[in-house]
Amino acid sequence: MRRGFLLLCAPAVLFTLVMIAFPFGYGFWMSLQKFDFTGAPQFIGSANYLRLMDDPRFWTGMRVTILLYVISLVSQLIIGTYLAVLLHSSKGLRNLVRTVIISPFIMPPVVVGMTWLVLLDPSIGAANYVLTKVGLPPSEWLASPQWVVPTIAMIDTWQWSPYIALIVLGGLQSLPVSVYEAAQIDGAPRRAVFWRITLPLLMPTIATAAILRSVDLLRFFDIIYITTQGGPGNASATLNIYGFRMGFEFFEFGYASALVITLSTVVLGSVLALTRLRNAVTW
Amino acid sequence: MNEVWIRRINGLQLFIVGIIILIPIYWMVGSSFKPPADVTAYPPKFIFEPTLANYHDLFSTTPFFRYLLNSIIVAGGSTLLGLALGMPAAFVVSWSRVNWPAVLVLAARMAPGMIFLLPWYMMFREVGLIGSHISMVLAYSVITLPIAIWVLLPFFDQVPRSILEAAQVDGCNTLRVLWRVAIPMVMPGIVVTTILCFVFSWNYFLFALILSNGETKTLIAASFNFIGEGATNWGTLMAAATMIALPPLVLAGLMQRWLVSGLVVGAVKG
Repeated sequence: MRRGFLLLCAPAVLFTLVMIAFPFGYGFWMSLQKFDFTGAPQFIGSANYLRLMDDPRFWTGMRVTILLYVISLVSQLIIGTYLAVLLHSSKGLRNLVRTVIISPFIMPPVVVGMTWLVLLDPSIGAANYVLTKVGLPPSEWLASPQWVVPTIAMIDTWQWSPYIALIVLGGLQSLPVSVYEAAQIDGAPRRAVFWRITLPLLMPTIATAAILRSVDLLRFFDIIYITTQGGPGNASATLNIYGFRMGFEFFEFGYASALVITLSTVVLGSVLALTRLRNAVTW
Repeated sequence: MNEVWIRRINGLQLFIVGIIILIPIYWMVGSSFKPPADVTAYPPKFIFEPTLANYHDLFSTTPFFRYLLNSIIVAGGSTLLGLALGMPAAFVVSWSRVNWPAVLVLAARMAPGMIFLLPWYMMFREVGLIGSHISMVLAYSVITLPIAIWVLLPFFDQVPRSILEAAQVDGCNTLRVLWRVAIPMVMPGIVVTTILCFVFSWNYFLFALILSNGETKTLIAASFNFIGEGATNWGTLMAAATMIALPPLVLAGLMQRWLVSGLVVGAVKG
């Protein structure tokens, strides 16, 4: 029996070792070297990490990453939960509604980026046309150093709020009916039922959704690479974008590895923190 | 306020949200059928004479079908490999209740793809596989394997143990129990898993950007070139976007009921 298990698991474990564990170790080794296209790698210990701490572009990247993360996550959690409550009260997901809800996040982020690039063009995009029609000033959107991060957050929120809605809807559908019956007997007003009963009971599900999105948001890449490549200037250069450029445009493999490993630590730290938060709100 | 009005107001809000979701998708598909002069017209044209000119342009001026073939090879190959590795692993994790292989694979899923990309680049260059389909299928299986394991797990969990144990008593070894008993019972799960693996592999950008070359470039990696070329021709760009988004959207439309359960799997149970 045990031998059978080992045999069945072996291919997946072998694959994980070759394609995930070994590269991870290799990446860590690279992060301790002076390693670029000029010559053989040379051990320099923690110098790459120390260089990171003094690199203003690293800290810009950190700021952009965190800003984008917070704006996106907060807006998607609020809109997603709102959408879930709406769907729940509309008695079930009909096929059409379900298809519409899935479509944004089943599309490649790259395609989503391409489409919004056209919609948000500062001079001839449809978004600015609508803005001027309703009497608002047009925006530079992705071309504005000030607005580029909120704009990217908006695009990501358009794409992923429906996903959060589906997760939260699953949570809503599994809430105990008895609590609601009790609230109804006590004559609790609708608003109070939502804020005092539904939302607290949903917190574990919302926290789970937050964890799933955090992993993707902290390594934000696709939409930025397609729309701005980190610009204007470095206004939307997340750590992942900066790491990519260091590695594959400047070929500083050692330094780029140190950067990406630091980013992974940030991701891991946030996931652990959010998991603790989820355990705290679990009932 | 009575129930009827609340339902109407909810319906209205849902309708508005639906419109907001659909407008960009409509704009993408719509622009791809606009005559080239109308795509960049300002104010934007909402009514136009639909034309296939942009698609004709896309197919005749870019190696679109080679990119498409590459995408199918990489997404299809990594789906098959992910399933081949993930099915037995999920089965064992479900049966033996030993979780660490699944957790390990999930941790890999959480790491930024960039962390693997630099070492892979070195590894594949060392063995002369840079730009090959093989290197891309292997890389993209890092996306599909965790999906395969985690989506299949709850399906295997639902198979009654008594049936598996009975098959064992009848003299089936573990492989035969999996192949002859468990897999036929989780067929719906395998269909969902296959589609999710294919879609997420199809959509994933970063690996193809670096690991492909001119010959093996996938559609998603080529989309960046389309932007460069399409700077003056949005119609062609939107035709490319529509073509790339089409397979996931069609699969989602056909399979939505099944996909939803797969997409939120694990999330609700925590």
